[in-house]
Order: sequence, then C-alpha cells, then structure tokens
Amino acid sequence: MKINAAIVGTGASTFGRFLPQSQLGLAAEAFKAALEDSGLKREEIDGLSMHMGSPLGLDYDRVADGLGLNIRYVNQGWTHGRFVTNALQHAALAVSAGMAEVVACVTAISFTRERAILGGPGDIEGHREEGGTHGESPPYGLTAPAGGAAIAMQRYMARYGTTSEELAAVPMQIRRHALRNPDAIMQQELTLEDHQSSRMVVDPLHLFDCCLITDGAVVTFVTTEERARDLRQKPVRIAGMQGIRSGRDEFIFAPPGLGISQQPESDSASRPVDREVYGLAGVSRDDVQGLYTYDAFSPLVLFTLERFGFCGTGEAAGFVQNGTIGPGGRLPVNTNGGLLSEAHVAGWNHMREITRQIRGTAGDRQIPGAEVLQWGTVWGDSIIFTA
Amino acid sequence: MTGIEGQDLLPRPRISPDNAPFWEGCREGRLMLPTCTGCGRAHLPPGPVCPFCLSSALDWREAKGTGTISTWTVVHKVWFPIFADRVPYNVIQVQLDEGPRLTARLVESDAPPKVGQRVSVLFEQLDAELAMPAFRPLAG
Repeated sequence: MKINAAIVGTGASTFGRFLPQSQLGLAAEAFKAALEDSGLKREEIDGLSMHMGSPLGLDYDRVADGLGLNIRYVNQGWTHGRFVTNALQHAALAVSAGMAEVVACVTAISFTRERAILGGPGDIEGHREEGGTHGESPPYGLTAPAGGAAIAMQRYMARYGTTSEELAAVPMQIRRHALRNPDAIMQQELTLEDHQSSRMVVDPLHLFDCCLITDGAVVTFVTTEERARDLRQKPVRIAGMQGIRSGRDEFIFAPPGLGISQQPESDSASRPVDREVYGLAGVSRDDVQGLYTYDAFSPLVLFTLERFGFCGTGEAAGFVQNGTIGPGGRLPVNTNGGLLSEAHVAGWNHMREITRQIRGTAGDRQIPGAEVLQWGTVWGDSIIFTA
Repeated sequence: MTGIEGQDLLPRPRISPDNAPFWEGCREGRLMLPTCTGCGRAHLPPGPVCPFCLSSALDWREAKGTGTISTWTVVHKVWFPIFADRVPYNVIQVQLDEGPRLTARLVESDAPPKVGQRVSVLFEQLDAELAMPAFRPLAG
C-alpha cells in the first residue's frame, strides 16, 4: 500500500504551566483551532489517533464522547514520547487504507499536575513486571526517564571525550529558535554560563539539558492527498516513513552500538536500516532543510544526528557547534524551540511547526523555501514531510 | 498524588517467575545468571528463553562476580521522597565478565565511578527477604 496522506490542519491550546483547563478542555481548544485552521467541520472527523492515554491522560472514548465525534477508526497509544511518530503514522496508514477520511491526532498534556507520575512515586511504568523503558531501576533510585539519557551521555562522554560545555550547544541553539517563537515559554537567551551554573539533575545532565514540564494540547488533522487539495491550507505531504527500531541493538535513549543496558558495543556509524525513510520518501538526506526531533534531553539530539547519519559516530557534539542547528544554520533543529524551550507537548508542537514551515507561515523562524523537512527520533522512527 | 501503595517505602525489585532465581541467589550471596545450555551465552534481564538462540534450555549458573563499569550516573534530584536523604548517590551499569550488564550501586569508593573501572560484587542484605547486589572497586 502506498502512503497517501497529508497534514491539512493543526491547532493548539495555550501552552503554559499550571493551566486551569482539564486535559479534555485543552484538547477541545486545540480541536476547535484545528477545525478553524483546516476549514473542516466536526462531522468530517471520523478517525482518532491518540497520543495520550493511561496513566497520564485520557483515552479515545472520552475524547470522542466529550467532543461529540462519530468515530470509525481509532489508534490508541499512551502519553509517552515513544509513540508520537507512531500516532501520526497510524493516522497516515488509516487514511491511505480508507479506514477513515480524516483522522485527528490528539495529544493533551497536563504534566504540571502529574509530577508524581513523571518519574515520581506514582510512576507505575517503572513498577510493571520487567519495569520501564529507560533503564529504570527503582530499587537503586534510578526512577525517571532522565536517568536513561544520563547513563547514555555519560558513556558517550567517556568514549569520545565530549564535554558538558559542548553538549550545551544543543539547548543554547534550540533556545535561539524559541526566542523567535511567541508561543515559546522560554523567552530569554540561554548562555553557556547559565547552562553550566544550572543545577545538576542527574549527572551529566544539568537543568537546561532537560525539557520543560508544561501543559498544552495540539490536534493535527490527516487526510488523503486528493481530499487535501480541496481544503483551505497548502497540504503538508507525508512523503515517507519508517517505524520504531527495536531489539537487543536498541536502548531507547542511545544510538545503536553505544553499549547501554544490553546493547552490543560497536563503533559503527549510521546503518542502512537507520535511513530507509529517505528512499521511501524519494529524497536524499542532503535534501532535508530542517530536522525535528524529540528533544526531551539534550543528548537525544546528538544521538539522532548520528543515527540518521548527518554526521559520523562520535561527531555530533562537534557538528552542533557554531550555530549549525540554530536559526539560519546548515541544519536547523526544532525551529519552534522544541521540548527544551517552547513547551512539552510531546512532540506535537514540533509537528505544528513542521506544518507552518512547509506552508511558509513560520514568520521569523521560516526556513527559506522549506520543502523537505524530517521528523526523526533517537529510537529510530521517522517521517519525511514535503510540500 | 495519593493512594499509591508503598510510595513512602524503598522500591523493591519486581520478582517474576523469570527472575526469581536471580534474587534467590542474591539472598544466598551468589550472583546467578540464566545461561543457555545450547549456545552457552548468559543473558540479563532474566527471560523465559535465550534471547540469542531462542532455546528454552536455560540453566542458572553462578557468575564470577567481577566486571567493568560500562556507564554510571550520580542522581541529584529527589524523584522519590525515600531517596531524599541519600542524594547525591551513584547508579552504575556493570558489564559482567560473562557479558550481560547489571544495574547496581558502587560502594566502598571515595571517588565517583569511572567507565572502565574494574569492580567485584557484594550483597547488601536489606531484610529477611531481600538482598541487593552492589559493587566495590576491585583491588589492583
């Protein structure tokens, strides 16, 4: 089956901390904004792909009921970074297969009310049989996702001699994008001194290596290319996609070969299996004008650059120096300001930004002539978007 | 957050049918690894079959108890109240000489852990039911 899908609408709630709205309230705000953006009517939305759910969020049925939808296709995930790409991919697959006409991808987050569940004592993810996914080991006090990024970065530093000052280029450059985004929560320049003097959270991650904890919702509408042509906005075509890579070579927050948890060690650079998305989309990596990634922790940006082969293994810390990933850089990364500086809307704030960039409506952040943009994560899944 | 059972207690390992012999070994002061009698490889975390060759013929064998720190961190933030009086504390991953890696703590060391540091296992008896592996620097 050939992928026949495009993003035709995007809507967001306010992003902030300790917002008064319920998750459903935030979702409703974003849903209405997406209807307005796309020109679609509520009755035309017949699919839901949920990037939220237990234990941190609502499931599909409450959203369908609460927004008065009549749904004939559902993909249910849960509020977890691993499933952002997955939710959009399932929407694309569903419309391509004719299982739905227009799928709404929904995420609504109230992290500031859920601190206890985010790596806290109520984090039942780490208490399951076989535990959590980020190398959590609660009996030893390694309980939060940040711990997984920390152990990966620590080994990376020992292997390649990378320093915290070099890593700081990631949040500093992403902050520079945020300064051009009025929706971004962080609106002050981040200096190297700010980064280095911020408190240590889990060594080597300083405070500014860790994403924001915020509230907000984004709703994204996906339909077929034929349908997209009749709608209000310039379609953002889903040109190709590759799924999550999983197995003993993989640790959620490390490139293959780094040797975290049970990963075999190797110094191999990006492999063909890591880069299938370019061929599937009919583009080459050199065509990519901007990269968007799940920047929950700053090392994940380095690991993503290496996985997709934007640089060689061990070279990402050098690659990100001198503004390469910042505004006007050779490969701008997360031009919205990402999870590090715009807001933590589980990567959907990035999808919204990709949509604006391809439409050419990204204002001060506009990548000139943006026609090919990539979403790709450290755990290996990816989508190429084209005009 | 209220109503989470045991949230004020030290989190305990989740004992499953697959890993129970590992924790029984710890109580006896022995580091036990599920080892495939087909391909000969040990694996962690303990599973129902050999993840390398899918054989179900597993045998629990005692490890030498020595290995190399493959990575580490020091936790500064208090995510669980029970750890509030312990921060900062280290967590290490040790590549055992048999191959698999184990998460634990480095003890009896004045210096922070180092990648590549040689260590040997000991067991900390928490109560009658639970002993946890920890590692100390290997002399020489």
